[in-house]
Amino acid sequence: MEKIIEVSDLSYRYSEEQPYVLKNINFTVNKGEWLSIVGHNGSGKSTLAKCLNGLILPQRGTVNVGGFMTSDEEKIWEIRRLVGMVFQNPDNQFVGATVQDDVAFGMENHGLSREIMAERLSEALRLVRMDQFAKSEPHRLSGGQKQRVAIAGIVALQPLIIIMDESTSMLDPEGRKEIIQTVRALNRDRHLTVISITHDLEEAIHSDRLLVMNDGELIREGKPHDLFKSTALLRKIGLDLPFAIKMRNVLRAKGVPLSDTALFQEELVDELWTLHSSM
Amino acid sequence: MDITFEHVTHVYGRKTPFEKLALDDVTIRIPSGSFTSIIGHTGSGKSTLVQHINGLLKPSEGKITVGNFVIHAHEKKKDFKELRKQVGFVFQYPEHQLFEETIIKDVCFGPMNFGISDAESTKRAEESLQLVGLPASFWHRSPFELSGGQMRRVAIAGVLAVRPQVIILDEPTAGLDPKGREEILSLFDDLHARLKLTIIMVTHNMSDAANYSDQVIVMDGGKLLLAGSPKHVFLQEDLLRKVGLDIPETMLFLNKVLDKAGSKDKIPAFTVDEAADAVIRILNGVKDHV
Repeated sequence: MEKIIEVSDLSYRYSEEQPYVLKNINFTVNKGEWLSIVGHNGSGKSTLAKCLNGLILPQRGTVNVGGFMTSDEEKIWEIRRLVGMVFQNPDNQFVGATVQDDVAFGMENHGLSREIMAERLSEALRLVRMDQFAKSEPHRLSGGQKQRVAIAGIVALQPLIIIMDESTSMLDPEGRKEIIQTVRALNRDRHLTVISITHDLEEAIHSDRLLVMNDGELIREGKPHDLFKSTALLRKIGLDLPFAIKMRNVLRAKGVPLSDTALFQEELVDELWTLHSSM
Repeated sequence: MDITFEHVTHVYGRKTPFEKLALDDVTIRIPSGSFTSIIGHTGSGKSTLVQHINGLLKPSEGKITVGNFVIHAHEKKKDFKELRKQVGFVFQYPEHQLFEETIIKDVCFGPMNFGISDAESTKRAEESLQLVGLPASFWHRSPFELSGGQMRRVAIAGVLAVRPQVIILDEPTAGLDPKGREEILSLFDDLHARLKLTIIMVTHNMSDAANYSDQVIVMDGGKLLLAGSPKHVFLQEDLLRKVGLDIPETMLFLNKVLDKAGSKDKIPAFTVDEAADAVIRILNGVKDHV
């Protein structure tokens, strides 16, 4: 599989007097995959995300994005063009007076022609299902809608990678669902590489692969179904298990002979049924 | 101190082009010492509702009583100081309001603002910081060196230090990670149980509303849609869905199991443990019938 990001022996601290907040991190991201980086607040996952588009340069180790090193000053704008970032607070990212102004802002900064801007604008808004709101003002939008506009602003710049840095944590459940659906569409239909930084495992189980961070270290890596076979570690580092897994664990403790494979609620219901009809 | 709303209506921007009916003839009762959750879609009026309880907003019509304190519509200017001493308000992202050089000074600010002496304010601040579980080794540090969850607890200590009888929480766990959420919720659960405080919580999380409250109030379009025990409220799934709300995830899961069993029953179970027992009952029941 083609690698699009390679992080090697990365360590970072905010200043020389302070301890390292990222310790000797190694991983790669495949082109077109949806990767989640999970950990509790303060585990280092957001700092790591900022290393991936050169907002932060590590003291040790390297970050290679699409063939460019983030340490190469000449290439930093090239890297930022490849990597779009959606942040946590929907209100802090809205710069335009209307939805379409906001999406156009990034493109204006990149000096695109008017025709191309108009074309990409309508396409990006359609993609996040906000085309009906092109002329709306931000205060008329819900948090989820604002985040979708932020995503449209990134998509319009046609990056290869989109990083979602806790982009759902300030949203209500409905807004959260909207964003997950949007991200899935970008990943599956547009083949965008997605990196979600989150503490919400319920959200992370939808991705292709997970990295688990704790105290600045990368402690686990794997596909959701494999990673959730053992859950003690995830609980110990302060993460809340997905509902189906909590239910599976409690049912097992009550003597229902379930396997440790079900990750989604539907899978658990199916397994319960198979088990039941064979008893 | 009981809280009642009698036919309360609130209109924003009256006689302007932006006039909006935010509360529409709302009558509710929140008993002293209860834990009440208020749920509703964005724009349903739940924040407007709670802002009336400490006089941040005044009713356009109707009457509100909080203990002995009475607020009528069309009243002349009123002194809300006494009411605000009794009713503490923890806003969304309260940590954004921290400003002092040290944690202890920040927590003292509330009581001192109500004219309480320095010595007494310090004593209360220390007590409150202990209540929220922030060790004394932190007290003389800057609040801005803390983690998000710790900063939120300092802000909450500032409200507790005034020693209110009623605490209003507007989305108290927004933006926190699971551990931080759990800490904040069990803190209020504990304060409710030990100090008999009346807690009123605005929340988007149906499981939290179901697990912590005695009473759930559902708002829709400025009107009171439903009020009652979590069981009573969350059994009305169709009505809740119509106003854009969900049921707790335990019930969503049981629905899937019941659906598979061909049953149209609804089971009000709010903890994973209760729900697991229900699953086992459903499975055994199905077998009995076959």
